[in-house]
Amino acid sequence: MGAEKIEAEGFLMKILRLKELGAIIGVGVFFVLFMFISERFLSVENLASTFTMASELGIVAIGITMLMISGEFDLSVGSTYAVVPMIMAIMMNHGVPSGFSLLVSLLAGIGIGLLNGFVTLKTGIPSFITTLGTMMFWRGILLAVTGGFPIILERSSKVLKLFGGSLVGDLRYSGAWFIVLAIVFGLILERTTYGNWVFATGGNLGAAKALGIPTERVKLVNFMISSLLAGIAGITTFGRFKIIDPTLGQGMELEAIASAVIGGSLLTGGYGSILGTFIGAFMIGMVRSGLVLAGAPAYWYRAFIGVILVIAAIINARIRKKVAG
Amino acid sequence: MSEYLVEMRGIKKSFGRVQALKGVDFHVKRQEIVGLLGDNGAGKSTLIKILVGYHQPDEGEIYFEGKKVFFRSPWDSRKVGIETVYQDLALVNLMPIWRNFFLGREIIRRIGPVKVLDVRKMKKIAREVLKDVGIFIRSPDETVAFLSGGERQAVAIARAIHFGAKLLILDEPTAALSVGETRKVLEHILEAKKQGISVIFITHNIYHVYEVADRLVLLEKGEKIGDYDKKAVTPEKVMDIIAAAAGVTK
Repeated sequence: MGAEKIEAEGFLMKILRLKELGAIIGVGVFFVLFMFISERFLSVENLASTFTMASELGIVAIGITMLMISGEFDLSVGSTYAVVPMIMAIMMNHGVPSGFSLLVSLLAGIGIGLLNGFVTLKTGIPSFITTLGTMMFWRGILLAVTGGFPIILERSSKVLKLFGGSLVGDLRYSGAWFIVLAIVFGLILERTTYGNWVFATGGNLGAAKALGIPTERVKLVNFMISSLLAGIAGITTFGRFKIIDPTLGQGMELEAIASAVIGGSLLTGGYGSILGTFIGAFMIGMVRSGLVLAGAPAYWYRAFIGVILVIAAIINARIRKKVAG
Repeated sequence: MSEYLVEMRGIKKSFGRVQALKGVDFHVKRQEIVGLLGDNGAGKSTLIKILVGYHQPDEGEIYFEGKKVFFRSPWDSRKVGIETVYQDLALVNLMPIWRNFFLGREIIRRIGPVKVLDVRKMKKIAREVLKDVGIFIRSPDETVAFLSGGERQAVAIARAIHFGAKLLILDEPTAALSVGETRKVLEHILEAKKQGISVIFITHNIYHVYEVADRLVLLEKGEKIGDYDKKAVTPEKVMDIIAAAAGVTK
């Protein structure tokens, strides 16, 4: 009987050790809830549009998760999300080929991350402050350059279609990007040496350094990943609307962080998962569309997400105490 | 072959206007356990951090196995076989045991052009090695946070031995441990010596190190104030010397 008990306990621990457990249960609960509230919730078009919204947020959240696990923050992703496609839109409207515009704008995205990382690591100020500063800075530049007016794409572009266009029916390419990027970064995090270093850097910086892990390089790379993915997400949105508003993505940084936290990531670093973030972003998208279908005014959505975030954080903390001390 | 595994000559180091080390000579023989003693702020940590490459000395030379070395980072010293187990900096609590065990030395396998972690192999080795040193873990997936202080020290020591350390540096390994756990850690240290490893045991508690040490080196205010064969001194005498140097008189 004793051995059986240990085995059963082992199985239970294995399930509890899933960092995404809280998020999985949460998604399940809301799915069933919305299913009963509105019959249109389960329609293909609704699920597809939910997934599109979740994807655009989720791609940003994947980058945030990598960075958060290594112990740093990026509040500037919302601004990057608008700056990168804005660069692309302006270049394309000036007749630059779309492929080249894409390349330059993505490089600019990486550059924003490099700047965030460089300032944070060289000066030693918290990344919360650095990126709060760059968030305001880039948003200000964006508003100044555009005069506050949206920029409309004046021609069609095949390249852009590959980011925001329709893939099959109501499903868009952004959804495919979300899935592919989640798998790639999920594997990098869980199955490569670099991923191991990311966890160590955020979990115990001193120990990681003492063991010879190049922690500064790890953080710098993650800053670049974070802003690159924010830029890619921005381009998927641009591809969907063919128009860029200079206020696009305001508040997105907090939703991206919320996705990561709902998915089980720790704000203090060293713990988290891409799959969890994937589910977290999906949950936020689902609540958004579910509430609309339920007939609640759109304003309720933020209040709702706020409550979910806190509850998720509490549940995740409880589970983590059991499995990670 | 040099008799000394490590030799540090005339090491000086200042931080701003504070002179942390004022020309210290220090050596460790092969298969020797050296107790490095001194009060807080005596310069023990600084000396060790210079030895492993965390800091670089302002003056002085370091020889390892008879060859002059210059370590730019702890990574450099780790490569030649110097492993350090810091009190709080040995392991990452939120990470599973197997990930900790192989941190910085991950086993990888290739899938086409991609290098991925060989998770199964690492888990297996971690489990076996820990069993060999007498640590029973339920699962290598368990996070380090669940291990007791003594078990964490043991994991870190086992890791160092497994990766072929020639010199093992232990920073206050018994400071926060119960009597029983201290005893176990001391056994692990003697086991390491039996396997041919030299050990530097940093502590300010002479009673913890006296039992296992071959030699005792005393630091105070950045200078070496004593270097004794253990058999030549009693713990009480060592305490008196340190106290006297610190300006405390009975």
